[in-house]
Amino acid sequence: MKQSRTDDIIEARMRPGAITRDGLLGADRRKLRDILDADDAAVRRLGLSHAAIAARMRDLRDAGARGLGEPIRVDDTYEIRVDAVRGRLPCPFGHPGLFDKEFTDVLHVRSGERITFSRLNIHLVEAHGFYEGLGAPFRQDPERLARVLGLI
Amino acid sequence: MREFLIAVAVICALNIGLALLLMLAGAWISDIGDRVITINGTRQITVAGGRALLTALKEQQIFIPSACGGRGSCGLCKVAVLEGGGPLLPTETPWLTPEEQQDRIRLSCQLKVRRDLSIRIPEALFNVRQYQTEVAGIDDLTHDIKQVTLKLIDPPAIAFTAGQYVQIEVPPYTLTDEPVYRAYSIASDAAEPGRIELEIRYVPDGICTTYVHQHLKRGDRLTLNGPYGEFQLQPTDREIICIAGGSGMAPIRAILLEMARTRNPRPCRYFFGARAKRDLFLVGEMRRLEGAIPHFQFIPALSAPEPDDHWEGETGLITEVVGRHVADASQAEAYLCGSPLMIDACIKVLRDKGMAEGHVFYDKFA
Repeated sequence: MKQSRTDDIIEARMRPGAITRDGLLGADRRKLRDILDADDAAVRRLGLSHAAIAARMRDLRDAGARGLGEPIRVDDTYEIRVDAVRGRLPCPFGHPGLFDKEFTDVLHVRSGERITFSRLNIHLVEAHGFYEGLGAPFRQDPERLARVLGLI
Repeated sequence: MREFLIAVAVICALNIGLALLLMLAGAWISDIGDRVITINGTRQITVAGGRALLTALKEQQIFIPSACGGRGSCGLCKVAVLEGGGPLLPTETPWLTPEEQQDRIRLSCQLKVRRDLSIRIPEALFNVRQYQTEVAGIDDLTHDIKQVTLKLIDPPAIAFTAGQYVQIEVPPYTLTDEPVYRAYSIASDAAEPGRIELEIRYVPDGICTTYVHQHLKRGDRLTLNGPYGEFQLQPTDREIICIAGGSGMAPIRAILLEMARTRNPRPCRYFFGARAKRDLFLVGEMRRLEGAIPHFQFIPALSAPEPDDHWEGETGLITEVVGRHVADASQAEAYLCGSPLMIDACIKVLRDKGMAEGHVFYDKFA
């Protein structure tokens, strides 16, 4: 799909210093629309949907939150820690409201793979199919994400 | 050929001329001269116009709390701008409630000083200063928490109340190309104003915690400003219930050290939650405080003790332990510090035990 004027505005909000210090695009030189299209295709190839991935992220976040800030074992498969730092972040796509700077750190105990995602990540995947640009600090590679989440 | 070269020269000259014109116009437009900021109706300062209000105040040694260093991503640097602020900016509105917008609250990092302003800030902020310090010690408290001892150099002492916090300035290094500010509660006794202790838990890739854990060393200079915050022991006779986890120990420790020094007679129980024994720290000091504070009990609890821990103390989530120990909280007040999730869960337990909403005091970020 061709990048629209609206996409340009949203992409500008994702650049370093607008919403977060490092931005949401990392070193990715592609247009926002191309990033969205590529990750959407990757998710389809896996036979998944953005909604299903986001739902699993939220489930693990909620399970980890029961540790009250300390790591907690979940299903003998994961060690999850949910914690927060001061501040909140807006959605770059313009959704109203702010997202707490809360982070969920998921360690897959058997494989040793670890992913860390924020509250904003869950929203971005669910509402926009956006996994951040390549090299961004909170980039969620769809395949790796799905693998650690146990969806594939 | 000659005509071509002349054409190139003319175009170059025109471009250079236009660039110079733009530079001159920019300098003329941006130089909006000095502006006067009236603070709380009594004090006036003159600042260079065009800067962010947060920066302009900082240059006058008036420090507004800001955890993101002026990027508009923490929403902390709120100031009431009574006159001269102009319309709200799109970068401010997500951070301000309708009530705050009605009260003319602004984000001082976003608002540029283009006109004379009248602002209102808490009087306590006039006591905030910038300090040059020297790292007098860095000690491991646990595998991921370090205690940093800072000796005050200039000024040589800081007046603070137990429970308050400071902001330390992380200089540019591999993870940041500009100074970054982060807030940490003071863990040491307010009776020793020449040195402060901070307890800093490592956060993977965290700009400040990585700097402290992997780069900062004894003898280094560190700039900080403060003190900030209203988290402090209230002057009542109620029983005190303290609850903390991880580096949330810091402000509670400062409060307990003060209670020991003043022989505070109020009954006090301190619940400290950790995962396993390796996450516990300062247990020996807390046991000594049980002897120094007339009616004080320290109750550490492990949520997932390791078999090798041989732990015989309280086990379970801190909420469960508090629930078992506290039968009636209606006559008590609570001081909580740690993870926001822990604090929210503990508040619910305390409310269920009858504690009044106004008797719960907390700092969600140690």
